[in-house]
Amino acid sequence: MKKLLRNRELSALLAIVALFAVLVALNHSYFSLQTLSMIFTSAQILILLAVGATMVMLTRNIDVSVGSTVGLCAIAVGVALNSGYGLPAAMLFALLIGAIAGFFNGVLVVWLRIPAIVATLGTLGLYRGGMLLWTGGKWIEGLPASLKALSEPVAIGVSPLGFLVLIVVAIAAWMLARTAFGRDFYAVGDNLAAARQLGVAVNRTRLLAFTFNGMLAAIAGIIFASQIGFVPNQTGSGLEMKAIAACVLGGISLLGGTGTVIGAFLGAFFLTQIDTVLVLFKLPAWWNDFIAGLVLLGVLVLDGRLRQALARHQRAQKYSRFVPPLPGAKNVRQFPRKKKDVA
Amino acid sequence: MNKLKLNWEVALLLILVAEILLFGAINPRMLDVNMLLFSTSDFICIGIVALPLTLVIISGGIDISLGSTIGLCAIALGVMLQAGMPISLAVILTLAVGLLCGLFNAALIHYTGISPLVITLGTLYLFGGAALLLSGMAGATGYEGIGSFPDTFTNFANLTLFGLPIPLVMFAVITLLFWLLTHRARFGRHIFLIGQNPRAARYAALPVNGSLYGVYGMVGLASAIAAIVLVSYFGSARSDLGRDLLMPALTAAVLGGANIYGGSGSILGTALAALLVGYLQQGLQMAGVPNQVSSALSGALLIVVVIGRSVSLHRDYLQTTWRRLRGHKKLTGV
Repeated sequence: MKKLLRNRELSALLAIVALFAVLVALNHSYFSLQTLSMIFTSAQILILLAVGATMVMLTRNIDVSVGSTVGLCAIAVGVALNSGYGLPAAMLFALLIGAIAGFFNGVLVVWLRIPAIVATLGTLGLYRGGMLLWTGGKWIEGLPASLKALSEPVAIGVSPLGFLVLIVVAIAAWMLARTAFGRDFYAVGDNLAAARQLGVAVNRTRLLAFTFNGMLAAIAGIIFASQIGFVPNQTGSGLEMKAIAACVLGGISLLGGTGTVIGAFLGAFFLTQIDTVLVLFKLPAWWNDFIAGLVLLGVLVLDGRLRQALARHQRAQKYSRFVPPLPGAKNVRQFPRKKKDVA
Repeated sequence: MNKLKLNWEVALLLILVAEILLFGAINPRMLDVNMLLFSTSDFICIGIVALPLTLVIISGGIDISLGSTIGLCAIALGVMLQAGMPISLAVILTLAVGLLCGLFNAALIHYTGISPLVITLGTLYLFGGAALLLSGMAGATGYEGIGSFPDTFTNFANLTLFGLPIPLVMFAVITLLFWLLTHRARFGRHIFLIGQNPRAARYAALPVNGSLYGVYGMVGLASAIAAIVLVSYFGSARSDLGRDLLMPALTAAVLGGANIYGGSGSILGTALAALLVGYLQQGLQMAGVPNQVSSALSGALLIVVVIGRSVSLHRDYLQTTWRRLRGHKKLTGV
């Protein structure tokens, strides 16, 4: 049980399986790959944002502006397509916008030393306003069919963009877990000063974390435009909190240095699954947030209590040798002296 | 330190005056005293919730669930009034709901030891969901909410006292109370130490956990007050009434000089910054700038001001970085 709770990816996976089992138990016709791929389709945006948030949160920062970045990039791809550019050019343009938005966040946080939550709070409004200014408050409609085709299933119910999401997740997971470059993210978040002493390019790593986050938000924006077929004004608002919630569910600590991309992926999937299951049960939509909040808090309380117990246990072990032995106890060992400690 | 903070408040006041004069130059109607006073009703709720939020931030925490708390209180109030409850009882119960929401946050933070940002993120969904649930069960349609309240209630927000609108008077009273509590009472000093160094506060035998319940409870209470004012002002209770208040309230607290990492902040600064943010929205609207653009400008204002403060705080660091960048052009290619 303890191990299960400590391994957040495993427990998130189990939660997903359990929820799926409940769904299937109540209605056998949902036992199909189609249900899974349907949930995945609606989870794609959140998954990308959660992966991006992972990178930022690993470096002990936070980005609450991604919702607006998604909107901005969705607008970018829509405007570029409607003014006659090709699909690849439009997507590159959106990516570029996302990268700039993310990089600007990074500049504010890293170079100008503004606390991340304050800086991204500012850019949340700034990007949203920029987006509305750009479109004049109008919706972008009439997107070409070539964009919409990207979110139509090609194999096992997954669209080309869906495969792109899977590839991005795989690359990010591999990079953060296996490469020295990826481990830098953990080092920076765990102990900034130590990471610098070890020769990690701390500023570059943090800047890149924000930039990658912006680019992932750009892809999410493209997916939004492709799935919905038009770009409303409020595109992406509220997603920033959902992405962070998904990360927290997946075991990524806001204190930096802990968590994996797989955890974020599973967390995002689970959050979307809750919504989908409620829809399939034909519960009114107003249950969604309530249940998501309950689940999130339940996980947090369990996790927090466990962590406290663990810390107490470690502390007790650490100090047990200082506790005076019971009177009359035999074979009392002397407090071990280590001469090396002096050095 | 004290002198610097005083300077910051004076600077805020100057910015506020400059802002009003600037908008006055664009649209002379803005300079009308009545206009200035009565337009506050549109945004004063930002200030009402920003004040206790400042205390929370000073204590090293944060509460992002307050928007949802406002929604929940508003819906609860609406449901109770619709059921024909006497106004005074409904108002008291609404305040109790808000207080409970705040205490629930504090209890979770206390019980789990997890960072307040994460906990209140969870309760953001929980309270928001509860508000949606309640309004759904009461049969309110999404955007219209619960309406048709007794006139005595809807008139409340439009009353005047000594020629001042009631919400503004409430804001002034609350500001005074919080100023006394924060800067002139023992409780406030405790909060500052807890924000500076919780461990030291614990060793000094300060009631760390008790203060936690105190500050979050006050946020809940203030959210309930804001909900009552909003419902009375708009004449309808909706679950999303508070959604747009969180970001401006945080902006006001941060602009007012609160350190997001805890340990410093100023009630007067927050109050001034709330007016600054509010008049910015108001003035832009009157200058004919679309509503949406004003969100960009308030975001930009936040960034510019914070950059300014950051530059003045880290002057040495920035100077050395600048020199290094100029010395080795290659380093810029990050």
